Amino acid sequence: MSPAVETLDLTKTFVKKTLKGSIFKRMIRRVTTKPEHVTAVDHVNLQIGEGELFGLLGPNGAGKTSTIKLLCTLLVPDQGTAKVNGYDIVKEPNKVRESVGVVTGGERGLYWRLTARENLLFFARMYDMSDHVSKPKIDELLKLVELDGRADETVEKYSRGMKQRLHLIRGLIHDPAILLLDEPTLGLDPASARVIRDFVKQRLQREQKKTILLTTHYMDEADQLCDRIAIIDNGKVIGLGTPAELKKSLSQADIIQINASKVPEAAESLLKNIEGISEVALSFDDSDAGRAQLRIHTMDAESVLPEITQTLVSKGVKIHALQEIEPTLEDVFIGLTGRKLRD
Amino acid sequence: MSLGKEWRTFNAVFRRNLRLFTSYSTWLIATIIWPIPLLAMNIYQYLGVASSRSVSTTLSQNYGLTLSGMIIVGTVVYLLYNRLLWSTGNSLQTERWMGTIDVLFLTPASRLTMLLANGLSSLVEGAWWIVAIFLLNWFIFGIQLTVTSWPAVAITLVSTMIALVAVGVFFASFFILSRAADQMASSLQAPIRFFSGVAFPVAALPQALQFVSLVIPVTFAISALRATLLSGGGIVDILNQLLPLYLFTAVFLFVGYFLLRIVEKRAKKDGSLYQM
Repeated sequence: MSPAVETLDLTKTFVKKTLKGSIFKRMIRRVTTKPEHVTAVDHVNLQIGEGELFGLLGPNGAGKTSTIKLLCTLLVPDQGTAKVNGYDIVKEPNKVRESVGVVTGGERGLYWRLTARENLLFFARMYDMSDHVSKPKIDELLKLVELDGRADETVEKYSRGMKQRLHLIRGLIHDPAILLLDEPTLGLDPASARVIRDFVKQRLQREQKKTILLTTHYMDEADQLCDRIAIIDNGKVIGLGTPAELKKSLSQADIIQINASKVPEAAESLLKNIEGISEVALSFDDSDAGRAQLRIHTMDAESVLPEITQTLVSKGVKIHALQEIEPTLEDVFIGLTGRKLRD
Repeated sequence: MSLGKEWRTFNAVFRRNLRLFTSYSTWLIATIIWPIPLLAMNIYQYLGVASSRSVSTTLSQNYGLTLSGMIIVGTVVYLLYNRLLWSTGNSLQTERWMGTIDVLFLTPASRLTMLLANGLSSLVEGAWWIVAIFLLNWFIFGIQLTVTSWPAVAITLVSTMIALVAVGVFFASFFILSRAADQMASSLQAPIRFFSGVAFPVAALPQALQFVSLVIPVTFAISALRATLLSGGGIVDILNQLLPLYLFTAVFLFVGYFLLRIVEKRAKKDGSLYQM
């Protein structure tokens, strides 16, 4: 059986634009210097099976959204190609667009002065659906995301979570086989995010058997939802597998998590110098107070622990909690890049 | 191309625009008020220096026009031009500003049909302006229309509107490319107003400047309407104006359509379509 989505050396490069300097300086720079390029998607090869919920996990700017935009034909690749629902994104863009529903996170992508029902009716017509087909479908979809009671209110009165639910059903209006969800829970409160996640997993994947490609920089979201995950950084896929497989790839490493205050920024490099420590990731909760969390990867926690505590205490660090933890996808990312996802 | 599909796209955009238009009370008020000061400005620039009779006599002797007749038609066409340029040309830029351009471009709907629907839906405002200006003139100046062929008037009006939508289609691509649609549209307003003879006869311009007027479709639209509404001209009398207008319409639509395709292709390559 052929995959629902398949990318073959998919590559996209952009010219780096800068707004530094006056308009004249920028014009002179444009003429006199060679443009700098940024590779947003770098020879990506993925295969997503029918009915699979596949995650692209990576920090902001990793190339997740560019990958989605390539797959839905909003961008054209510089190299390589992809097949979506069996259609080539370069040669058959119209067929691809009919096959996918795209849902982006955030507040944009809806007409705020129209009601939810008017928005859906508008997009249904743009997908060449007749009103007698789309109207019952709209009722059904509104009910599905529990917006039926407020369907005739303008979108500007909606909460962020309600707008996101509307985004989701807008992407479903033409009943696409494949859904591309770009950061669907971005900026939502935990309760609204949970509603979206449950809907995606339960309704869309389990009941409607949709193939779903979801991008996120929330590791818990990827862990909970996805059958398989590709970890992406600087446009490259650097890890691929089920969440369990990815975590297992770190199973030989011990992970120590320390919560402390008065942590100097140099703590990361000091700890990295200790023999036996492979990675250290430092993230500040409150940089003024030096309150931070350290995640340390080592092959043998027991042997390096005394030196870790000694090094930190000698720098005036106050340790509040220290524990050995099970690896998460965050640790997988640290193990692969040496950085935390949020960095 | 399926006519049913194009009709659905047209219908969707047309109805959405009307709904959006009526949802802003400020737009409604502006639409009602706007023709009044513009018309007054055009008229009082003459009445400030001479009486209505004296200006009309001069215009009639030299150019075969009356003051109110000249101003009415010029103002109507100029208002339509502005409305259609903004609504058609600026429509994709507006979608970008509203954050809906990517979801819109994800649909298989024709871009050209979207643009045409954007332009023609704005004629609801345009229709009010035409009526308002004629009513104001009737009350204020007691203008007498000397129409002998209403079909000629209707053909001229429809031809003018289609030509102006075509101009909008042509500019839509430039506006996307530059991402400075507002500034570009604004910078076009004064030159068009000047060269097309909105508030004075084109024949009053120096010969060299009259050549510039000949590349502006608005000039021919104004001229044709003046002939049908005020001089009692029929279809045969305005062929000299209508034929260039149709030529402009065909060229602008044809070039605009291909330009739009090129621009979209380029924007998909450099990712600029979705950036503000």
